[in-house]
Amino acid sequence: MSGADDTRASGSPGPLRVLVSFKVTPDFEALRPADWAAGAVEAGTPGAGAASATGASSPGASATAPRDEVASASGTHAAPRVPTRCVRRVLNCFDESALELALRLSDTLAQRGGGADLAALSIGGREIDPHLTTLLALGYERAARLDVESDLDFAPAVVASLIARYVARREPCDLLLLGCCSGPGDGGTVPFRVAEALGWPCVSQVTEVEALTGGGLRVACTTDEGLLRLTVRGPAVLAVGNAVVSRLRVPTLRDRLARRDAPVAIVAAAELGIDVAAELGREPTALRGLEVVDRARRGVVVDGATPRDKARLLYDAHLRALLEAP
Amino acid sequence: MDLSREGIVEGLRRIVAPADVVTDEKILVQSSVDNFRKLQNIFDVHTMPVPAAIAMVHSAEQVAAILRFAAEHGVNVIPRTGGTATEGGLESAVPDSIIIDGSAMNEIVGIDAYNMQATCQCGVPLQALEDRVRELGLTTGHSPQSKPVADMGGLVATRSIGQFSTLYGGIEDMVVGLEAVFPNGAVTRIKNVPRRAAGPDIRHVVIGNEGALAFITEVTVKLFPYFPENNVFLGYTLKDMATGFAALRAVMVNGYKPSVARVYDPGDAGLHFSHFAAPDDCVLLFMAEGPSAIAQATAAGIEALVAGFPECSKVDSAYIETWFNDLCWDASKITAEDERIRQTRNVNRTTEVSADWGSINDIYQAARARIIAEIPDITMMGGHSSHSYINGTNMYFNYFFNVVGVGPEQETDKYYLPIIAIICEETLKRGGSIVHHHGMGKARAPWVKQEYGSSFYILETLKTAFDPDGIMNKGTIFPL
Repeated sequence: MSGADDTRASGSPGPLRVLVSFKVTPDFEALRPADWAAGAVEAGTPGAGAASATGASSPGASATAPRDEVASASGTHAAPRVPTRCVRRVLNCFDESALELALRLSDTLAQRGGGADLAALSIGGREIDPHLTTLLALGYERAARLDVESDLDFAPAVVASLIARYVARREPCDLLLLGCCSGPGDGGTVPFRVAEALGWPCVSQVTEVEALTGGGLRVACTTDEGLLRLTVRGPAVLAVGNAVVSRLRVPTLRDRLARRDAPVAIVAAAELGIDVAAELGREPTALRGLEVVDRARRGVVVDGATPRDKARLLYDAHLRALLEAP
Repeated sequence: MDLSREGIVEGLRRIVAPADVVTDEKILVQSSVDNFRKLQNIFDVHTMPVPAAIAMVHSAEQVAAILRFAAEHGVNVIPRTGGTATEGGLESAVPDSIIIDGSAMNEIVGIDAYNMQATCQCGVPLQALEDRVRELGLTTGHSPQSKPVADMGGLVATRSIGQFSTLYGGIEDMVVGLEAVFPNGAVTRIKNVPRRAAGPDIRHVVIGNEGALAFITEVTVKLFPYFPENNVFLGYTLKDMATGFAALRAVMVNGYKPSVARVYDPGDAGLHFSHFAAPDDCVLLFMAEGPSAIAQATAAGIEALVAGFPECSKVDSAYIETWFNDLCWDASKITAEDERIRQTRNVNRTTEVSADWGSINDIYQAARARIIAEIPDITMMGGHSSHSYINGTNMYFNYFFNVVGVGPEQETDKYYLPIIAIICEETLKRGGSIVHHHGMGKARAPWVKQEYGSSFYILETLKTAFDPDGIMNKGTIFPL
């Protein structure tokens, strides 16, 4: 896949400009099943939103604002849903991969005598700022927060327009990395919407990003048929999926001290010429309902006096039929 | 030692079923360390002597026979149940040790709801016991973070403590009787009574012996009525630990018995409470439980006391309740943490000490400042107090560092042990105890004489009396 010509990404002088857009989400693992059940009940009540049954998400970009207290439908949609106010905020896992992949890309380029200019973006309230400060300590040159109070979960069109407009007006880049989706509502459409708005190609389900010595990038992504490796020249959008690299490195206290004066840029949506409330009114996607799905695994204890007995019992009761099936 | 590795294995196979003698090299290598050198297992780089075999025992008589065999041939023995030790107590300090694994002794022998006590074999997981007694509306009152993965024998052997200790006490307050096997093969049983004054309380020879004196095969612990519906949670933010310690002291000195009473410093609070606490906030929290009248009165009394500290701002109790419900470490969390370490080489360690109210803040401040100044690559240095008493409290140092410039197997030498040294030095300097509830293991054994002072005579005499051949868990409590 090859995007529009670009000097930096194709090996010409100058650092590769990389923007990573990430989302901070409630720690859903810390919620109790009862919390989800309560959300499902409330979502099922009359007037609790109407439109898409699937609920597209705002992956890789927006944030669930604690003040909204719920993982809920956006804009005019009824709230509350699942109560998330009482759990801490964490990086969306796919975005965490994207943030670390960008750092590794920068490390590789630096070892070759080049470099990358890294910037980070997120959307939401002040709860995001500690994450942005951490990224500055890790070597991101700039970190910005689009200050949006509205709950943008299930508002992928609004989120995508904010990101695309930010890239166009405030942070031109060669590569835009974001997670392929996020926890609350896994629609996974934001990367494609951003790419469409920018007129850039989009590679989805990215698992690895490697700088080529002659310029450009080798990008691995998973497909239904297997692993696909592409040569990518920016500008391009990379939507990071189940990457092997899934955890973000941690800055030392000295790293933090060294960047303590680096500011987090707070950008109002209006500065980008976007009226979020109006955009939410036009948002085509909404949460219609929540359903608690029991995904608990069940096990059978194979009890026998010796390992040989247990192996025999396992084989007879559970494996023989599978192995002997035609 | 007068036996080869093969001779040890052969001898064990005469005592327990051959299938119960584990000689798989990979398992043995993994069993050469515990969580003290957990990076060796995470990165599969091992440096410790490899045990000769693991003997899976099913009875006290088998334990006795193995101990007699080991004593006869001078073979080091490492008692083990759940294997969740954090201080090196399960490391093999010398080659060709025998690990006696009691995890197969996992029968809940009896639950006596009238006399409010439960008896179980050493390999019963605490979670299993707790689940069983909960069905009867009871609780053990013991809830360490390791509850989902730790077994009763190991918990007693290390003087474990749980998150509700301020009400229920540590494991030493819960054990009413036990059975233990000594190196000469003597199977001893301490009967289950509510109290005794027939000389010294010999339970405490066994509780906390860390496998250096005896192997615990059975324990009987107290039970308590369980009233989760009455739990009341309280939380506050504040700006300094001195105020937090003072508030905890006020609660304890005034006779209140919350099950949980904690204060977190800003670094540690940032890991748990960043959704409601500012980056420079400490967090003070309580849980009151028991019959409704007691829980309500306890919470009301604590609220009134904390109101006397205007620096403390109350937060919604739902924050504390939700956090507390997700606090235990189950197997999935441990696996996720191992993967995080594998990818980032950022390691989380903890060291817990105790001291009186007049010293604890000084220990916290001094140790924290020294660690930040002297240890490289620190990414977070914080801690909390989580177990309080009438005369003092504990400090649970919680810290993270990046492993840089050395292999994962050298993490303990470059980072962990120097940090432990600082904490022990600052604690001993102020008269505190260098171990609150993890056990000495091998990690803190070098400070045992300073910890005990002149009373080391008593401890040392126990060792020489019960383990004259020195076969019990070499290097644990007593340094090599």
